[in-house]
Amino acid sequence: MATSELKPGNPDHGRWIDPATGEFRVLEPGQTFKSVTAKISDIVLTPHTPLGWFALFGIGGAVATFLLTAVTWLFLKGTGIWAVTQPVAWGFAIINFVWWIGIGHAGTLISAILLLFKQGWRNSINRFAEAMTIFAVVCAGMFPLIHVGRPWLGYWLLPYPNSMTVWPQFRSPLLWDVFAVSTYATISVVFWYIGMVPDFGTMRDRAKTPIAQYFYGLISLGWRGSVRHWMRYETASLLLAGLATPLVLSVHTVISFDFAVATLPGWHTTIFPPYFVAGAIYSGFAMVLTLAIPLRKFYHLEALVTERHIDNMGKVMLATGLIVAYGYGMEVFMAWYSASHWEYFMMWNRMFGPMGWSYGVLIFCNIAFPLTTLWVRKLRTNIGFMFLISIVVNTGMWFERFVIVVTSLYRDYLPSSWGTYRATKWDFMTYIGTLGLFTALFLLFVRFLPMIPMNEIKMMLPGAKIKPKEAVAGESH
Amino acid sequence: MAHESHTKTLPADLSAPPVVNTWRTRALIVGVVFSVIAAGLAFADGSIDHVLRAWLLGLVLTFGFAVGGLALLMVQYVTGGKWGLLLRRPLEAMSRTLPLVFVYWIPIAVFQGKLYMWANHGIVDQALKLGQITQDQVEAIDHAIKWKAPMLNPTSFVVVSVICFAIWGFYTWRLNSLALKRDADSPDNTPFWIKKFENLSGFGILVYSLTMTAVVIYWVMSLDVTWYSSVYGLLFLVGQGYQVLAFAILISIALSQYEPFKTVLRQTEQHDLGKFTFAFVMLNIYLGFAQFLIIWSGNLPEEIPWYLDRIRGHWGIIITLDFIFHWLIPFSLLLSRDIKRNKKRLTRICQWMIFAKAFDLFWLIEPNFKDAARNLHFSWGILEYIAVPVALTAFWFAFFTTRLQTRGLVAINDPHVVEILEPEHAHA
Repeated sequence: MATSELKPGNPDHGRWIDPATGEFRVLEPGQTFKSVTAKISDIVLTPHTPLGWFALFGIGGAVATFLLTAVTWLFLKGTGIWAVTQPVAWGFAIINFVWWIGIGHAGTLISAILLLFKQGWRNSINRFAEAMTIFAVVCAGMFPLIHVGRPWLGYWLLPYPNSMTVWPQFRSPLLWDVFAVSTYATISVVFWYIGMVPDFGTMRDRAKTPIAQYFYGLISLGWRGSVRHWMRYETASLLLAGLATPLVLSVHTVISFDFAVATLPGWHTTIFPPYFVAGAIYSGFAMVLTLAIPLRKFYHLEALVTERHIDNMGKVMLATGLIVAYGYGMEVFMAWYSASHWEYFMMWNRMFGPMGWSYGVLIFCNIAFPLTTLWVRKLRTNIGFMFLISIVVNTGMWFERFVIVVTSLYRDYLPSSWGTYRATKWDFMTYIGTLGLFTALFLLFVRFLPMIPMNEIKMMLPGAKIKPKEAVAGESH
Repeated sequence: MAHESHTKTLPADLSAPPVVNTWRTRALIVGVVFSVIAAGLAFADGSIDHVLRAWLLGLVLTFGFAVGGLALLMVQYVTGGKWGLLLRRPLEAMSRTLPLVFVYWIPIAVFQGKLYMWANHGIVDQALKLGQITQDQVEAIDHAIKWKAPMLNPTSFVVVSVICFAIWGFYTWRLNSLALKRDADSPDNTPFWIKKFENLSGFGILVYSLTMTAVVIYWVMSLDVTWYSSVYGLLFLVGQGYQVLAFAILISIALSQYEPFKTVLRQTEQHDLGKFTFAFVMLNIYLGFAQFLIIWSGNLPEEIPWYLDRIRGHWGIIITLDFIFHWLIPFSLLLSRDIKRNKKRLTRICQWMIFAKAFDLFWLIEPNFKDAARNLHFSWGILEYIAVPVALTAFWFAFFTTRLQTRGLVAINDPHVVEILEPEHAHA
């Protein structure tokens, strides 16, 4: 959209501006309370599951078996089947952990922070972004657990009084991770569930089969839509948003401390906390786009998840991507400005050493390609292009973690201890398996739960706005 | 149509109230009085060293108001929101004080040899002679000066700063002149103007982040030539948000006793601004504490002395007070919904926050000098940190009030104008 299209005489003016309100459009025109309810709930309540769903679920499930196989073998043989060894003692497991947790950030950001900022456009995408968050945290949480070597003793991570009088190391950020991630997962699940309660009430009332009526009746917690219910629902949402907002910052900050408190060049840098958070939101929004674009096409939801949403998500990605780019820039600058040979060598090695290719991929995927194109509104509203960008950024953000972990470790202070890192087939199978698990879980969500919040979409319709009495009386839905 | 009958009307006269003249007169009196005190202190101290250090504090503080104001102006164009409409004219006026900030910068550029080791090696020699640093430290300093010479030299200090001022000047001029054109245009063209400002401001925020980082590295971080922290620019960025919001709320509430702000400042938006400020209070401590935690845990000889210089030798009292002033007090008070909605109390907190910001800058600047590192002691010169910044800020405020009077206080071609004139409960 060129700014000239917003001038009243321009033929494209109506595409962007709602003539009734004079405001920018969020939803396509012609939506009513009834049509919104029918559109969203019918996807779940229909007895006919689309064949495409079965096909994708089958693929997701099949890929998830990689994970099952790899983890079984891991438990039998130990972490020696992975490529982790000296000097690269952290490999795919931590890379994947950080990548998945990062993806999980967009859900809470959309649900909590954009709610506090009164950003109405979030309503179309918050539900599946929250679901994405939870499934991403499930995938992320697995990696530290399977990395401990003896996962059946994973509960030792928790500080509990025991006969050995052994306590976890409270000064280690790895322990802070346990608290940060578990709190984040808990709040995200509660937020997600509470947000769905009014919609479960609708589903219960529209369900035709006794099983569906019973199931949605049970999980709707007796929702009747009374004023008191709505009041409590709104209060709970705001309180949870307030609780979740610091979590968006804290989780990835704590994860950044896993690296930054060490004295290793490439890890020990003060910009890591904000730069990790921005990177998490960047990749999280990329994943929301990766999911939203096929979903809106497959289930014909273009009227509810509109070009405006895609455009806005592109803007958020541009903003967070620029913060990430600022972080990369400051890392490079400080490697020189520090006047430290170790810092300087680390950056030189990261860029031009044997694994310099990975830094190149990272710069292309996270900076060069998205941050030059996302400025252009025409590209931000091009659905195919945005899907491509989302895949590219997710790839780039995975490489960011690869670069941080591997290229900082494989050539540290002592040249005699230098080595390299080559992931094994078990590393790859574990990672790819989580992609399958994530896909399968997400498809189950889409099939059995309302993926867009009906109640919140309806609040954005003209009928929900406060109007003069006569105008309301003349309106019918 | 009950609610329509309560809708307020924008006053016909949107210009600044006459009380602004009184504020200017008072500010000028304060400026003159504190200038005289500063001169007297310099005479008593027998040196202008502390005048220059305190001048740097005053420069950074007023620079924060002017350029931070410009940044927040761009942020409100990009994000929209009713709070932005309320603050737009005060923020524009803050950005138009840039010429005065440039004047404030000139003495720093002229006397850089008295402040920066990289500009005058005599400072290092003198510190060694007085036993304030060891021979090992001199070697580290010499290595850093030599390594960073392509960047840290008197010429590039001036060139980079002038380029940054020119860039901020361009954005100030463009945003301020377009704002007048927008108000003179037909309301039908408002969506066009919204996008135009969005486009200009989006890139402007990026440019601001880079230029602001560049100057704070030159002006403040390079006072200690051996130390570095990659989050330093962001810390200043958030710090500017902290002080600009505090000042903008202060002005808005003060103006709300008179028209037109009396009509447009509702409790809802005041509450929103309080929440926004609270977010900056949190972000500020978040970045400050993260930097501390990482450096403290690392305990590296290149980094940790910077904190030790600011903790040992009675500086521990200042850092404790800084933590309480800068974070604990505003955080604890701004948690309260009632306080955020109470004009008088919110005013007090905002005044306190501006003082706390200046206090934080004192902790940040003074220990860079080897006579003060790990050695907080009384001298007539140290009192310059009160006299000079107060004088500079008072003159800056007087200039700000002049800028505030040059245009109406409320932008009229904005969709939010209708909303802020509605009764509070309509969209609560």
